[in-house]
Amino acid sequence: MAAAKTSRASFATPLRILTAVPVCDGHDSAVTTINIELARHGLEVIYLGYHQAASAIVRAAIQEDANVVGISSYNGGHIVFFKEVVDQLKKSGNGDIPVFGGGGGTITHGDERLMKRQGTDRIFFAGTPLDDIMNLVKRDYARDAKPNAKFKGDRALARALTIAEENAMTVGGDYSKTSRPKAAPTVQKTGKAPGFVLGVAGPGGAGKSTLIDELTSRFLRSNPTGRIAILANDPSHPDTGGAILGDRVSAIYAQDDRVFFRSLATRGNLTGLSASAPAAIDILKKSGEFDLILVESVGVGQESDPFGIFGKAKKLVDASLFVLAPYYGGLIQLQKIALLNGADLVALNKCDHPMAHTARAEIQARLDQNGKDQMLYPTTAAKHFDPGVDHLFAAIATLAAKNS
Amino acid sequence: MSSLGRIAESVDHYNAHVAAEVARARTDKKFAAELRARWAKVQASVETTKSPTGTALPRLALPQTDEPGAIAEYLLGQGLPGEFPYANAAYREMYLDKGSSGEEPMRLFAGLGLAEDTNERFHYLSKNQKSLRLSTAFDGPTLYGMDSDAEGVLGKVGEGGVAIDTVEDMERLFAGFDLTRKDASVSMTMNAPAPVILAMFIAAAKRRFGADCVPNLRGTIQADMLKEVQAQNEVIFPIDASLRFLCDMIEWCVPNMPRWYPVSISGYHIAEAGATPVQQAAFTLSNGFTYAELLKARGCDVNEFGPRFSFFLDCGLDVEYLVLGRVCRSIWAIGMKEVFGANAKAQALKLHTQTSGRSLIAAEFQNNLTRTAVELMLAYMNYSNSCHSNSADEPFTTPTEKYALLASHGQSIIIEESGLFKHTMNLFGGAPGLLILERQVEKAILDVFREMDTLGGVLAAQEQRYQRSKIQEAGHNYEKQIYAHERPIIGLNKYISTEPMPSVPLARTSPKKQRLQVTRLKAFKKKNAAKAPEALQRLENVARHGGNVFDELVNTVEVCSLGQITGCLSHVVGKFRPMV
Ligand code: B12
Ligand SMILES: Nc1nc2c(ncn2[C@@H]2O[C@H](COP(=O)(O)OP(=O)(O)O)[C@@H](O)[C@H]2O)c(=O)[nH]1
Ligand SMILES: [Mg+2]
Repeated sequence: MAAAKTSRASFATPLRILTAVPVCDGHDSAVTTINIELARHGLEVIYLGYHQAASAIVRAAIQEDANVVGISSYNGGHIVFFKEVVDQLKKSGNGDIPVFGGGGGTITHGDERLMKRQGTDRIFFAGTPLDDIMNLVKRDYARDAKPNAKFKGDRALARALTIAEENAMTVGGDYSKTSRPKAAPTVQKTGKAPGFVLGVAGPGGAGKSTLIDELTSRFLRSNPTGRIAILANDPSHPDTGGAILGDRVSAIYAQDDRVFFRSLATRGNLTGLSASAPAAIDILKKSGEFDLILVESVGVGQESDPFGIFGKAKKLVDASLFVLAPYYGGLIQLQKIALLNGADLVALNKCDHPMAHTARAEIQARLDQNGKDQMLYPTTAAKHFDPGVDHLFAAIATLAAKNS
Repeated sequence: MSSLGRIAESVDHYNAHVAAEVARARTDKKFAAELRARWAKVQASVETTKSPTGTALPRLALPQTDEPGAIAEYLLGQGLPGEFPYANAAYREMYLDKGSSGEEPMRLFAGLGLAEDTNERFHYLSKNQKSLRLSTAFDGPTLYGMDSDAEGVLGKVGEGGVAIDTVEDMERLFAGFDLTRKDASVSMTMNAPAPVILAMFIAAAKRRFGADCVPNLRGTIQADMLKEVQAQNEVIFPIDASLRFLCDMIEWCVPNMPRWYPVSISGYHIAEAGATPVQQAAFTLSNGFTYAELLKARGCDVNEFGPRFSFFLDCGLDVEYLVLGRVCRSIWAIGMKEVFGANAKAQALKLHTQTSGRSLIAAEFQNNLTRTAVELMLAYMNYSNSCHSNSADEPFTTPTEKYALLASHGQSIIIEESGLFKHTMNLFGGAPGLLILERQVEKAILDVFREMDTLGGVLAAQEQRYQRSKIQEAGHNYEKQIYAHERPIIGLNKYISTEPMPSVPLARTSPKKQRLQVTRLKAFKKKNAAKAPEALQRLENVARHGGNVFDELVNTVEVCSLGQITGCLSHVVGKFRPMV
């Protein structure tokens, strides 16, 4: 057992588990069931998806500062694969993150013995009752996340974010109060500029995550050495407190060491972001690691203001992008979207949709009313190499250049 | 309304039409006389046979009636075997020991290690078969279009299927088999890279049998990309590009390979991923109709491509499986006829069935023999055109020889040894319970069609994760039912065994073999280093300018590996963005 054991009572924040299926393996039925059950038991599940390379799993485990990595393997080669993940974690100084998993009957008891010797923590065999799995995971993989001077690079950053999340934890439903604040985590400063922070908001399903991923690909292509950070906020389940954070599944361009991707569950905060977002953004800026920091809100409605654009306090972001799809429900609904008044950039995504043409004219008229310098970008994020996304990226780059 | 809405409507109309005809048969004397005359002819055409113990039997079991309403109900509602709407069967006679096509329905899925290992398994499995029916399982890297020397995949090479990187591997895979034989057929469970793999198959066959062998090649390639997006998760290229490459291949095969099924529209993976039988049927049929729409939109003739579709369903132990094949055949026939204007050949759904892998469990795994036998019975009762039966060691590994042979003998015992299917066609049809089930299942399938219709059809629903979320929900439900003891599974949650898990022999690929595959691939790449860039450039041009990619692939595979080709194509069209 590599992880520190703490009793259930002393761990105040949800356990964060990273789950994935190995490379060349698409058997995701077991893992999706496990994910649902884990979330139902109040855990935060960061799901990476199927057909995932060992290096991608390790990168995600580090950036997410996962308590534990759970791998569901069916297509064979598990002895080699689990070992590869364990070894890469160790080699990168993150051997404290335990690795466990299952694969029904394809992983035998004999395999398990060998895998354990090679550093895998535990294997769940075919036919293990789901509740047994949940209870063991909760018992053994809870931890107390402390600042750790031994952590380097992305892990140090990731741990700082974990502590920021814990510090922002709610007490008795009062989200403004902070439970047991911990010492401000240390993050290395390289003396570089803090980077440009763009908030991305919009209704659920408009294509924010897809667009962010496409923007990431533009960033990586146009900037051969710099790094980009993404803070993906997703809602926690209001009853169980658990969450399935699945944005990484579709973020194909985040599979690059120049991308720092962190999933944040809202843990009951209702502003559209995790309560830790201000601190998290600050940590990323101070690290000096990133040229561009993208913050995705949860799906937001007409009145929300996740980035504090309209408030008197300092805005959370340097600029904001509002994304919407053509089916917003007509002109009257469009009028009511407050963020359309404040956003610096607006993207009308899903321009492959038949209603896109009308929507574009309506939104343009809506923006003209504001009399501000807001630009509308028609995009089709689902299409690769979409020129609309190119234009949007160029506009972001221009804003970023002005900002620095 | 998407075509799904129209199809649901056409089935309702057809059922109403049958009901009206039944009523008319009972009131309209002239019509009743016509029906009786036709019925007498049908009855007279049925030959008789004898069981080994001397019981005289008809070769086809018909309802014992001469009441015109019942005759109309049968002839129009179910159709004679081989007649619209094909509920009973796609052909007039199947499985009978004398007279019918003579090809056994057995088709065993096999693949392990390197090409020569699978080749050896093929020879082993087919040694007692009259006809040659091979079915290929590929390993993970091949399924994902990756070369065996790609970073991080070595441990997966040859696991769960055979490793194929090049046309040379393909030659080794089928060595010693005469693929041009009339009764030879080869099936390949291959999807995202299907066009590349089929091109390799063609190229390998040409090397052995000469350039003019292509029209004689017979078999099936799965290539069903919609169910990949929904359930099996082997997608490389964005969905539109994946569908384009598939349609390129179908378009090429229709005139050039008249004996080839270029797509096998599959519910197996949907069901194994967790879907209920009704969801399986609804998603599979709707995917099939979507392919028909896509090909029609490309200007292809439904009567040309329609007969080249084949279907692949799962068969588990849930009661709905008693009738699933029957119901699917009639919905397909009615939809193809009424909505797509297809002729008879394009209306008949040809069905491959595999017994359910998921119903097989590790605990007391010998029980799996019984489970598979029951499922096989259901598959035959639904007149599957071909069948794969899983091995009892399915939960652990690629089947070992011993259990693969038991699985194949399971089929022979039911079809050849027992008298259940070999004397009389449709011996089990027509029970009142089956008819009740059929109605219920059909209605439930049409309800799913209507729900997807409101979402904008199959592709729109898919974009909204409709099929995936339904499948995942059902899969979760299934597991919950097991552990809540609501679904008895003998040895797992009922009559639990206290025996320790037996240690079963495993079919695994040694690291030495895995390295050998890499060495061979490297040698191939080196040999073709001068020619490959030009071949890839030509392929890239075709892909970029909208030409038929398959046309070019047949040349590319001569000098390029699978990974080189998928790499080139994804350079042009981009990568698939997976969904949770
Ligand atoms: C379902 C299934 C499929 C479905 C998968 C659908 C999907 N989206 O998941 C389909 C039909 C698509 C499929 C395809 C293939 N399959 Co398959 N498949 C299976 C099957 C029947 C069941 C696996 C399953 O999901 N069980 C349900 C889960 C919930 O239960 P369980 O396995 O008992 O797991 C328990 C624990 O292990 C634990 N657990 C599992 N993972 C994890 C992870 C964590 C973190 C935790 C905490 C717990 C945990 O949770 C469960 C509850 O107790 C197995 C055989 C079998 N009967 O087990 C073959 C099997 C795994 N498949 C196999 C193969 C070879 C393939 C293919 C490669 C075939 C081919 N050549 O084309 C393809 C590859 C597909 C791909 N993209 O990778 C082989 C693997 C052989 C090997 N390793 O040597 C098997 C063993 C069958 C066989 N004998 O050939 N397959
Ligand atoms: N047709 C179409 N679909 C898109 C487009 N962009 C995203 N999508 C799809 O819309 C769904 C929701 O996208 P996602 O990025 O998760 O939205 P988010 O909730 O705003 O983050 C996914 O299925 C995407 O594939 C687009 O431009 N056109
Ligand atoms: Mg999102």
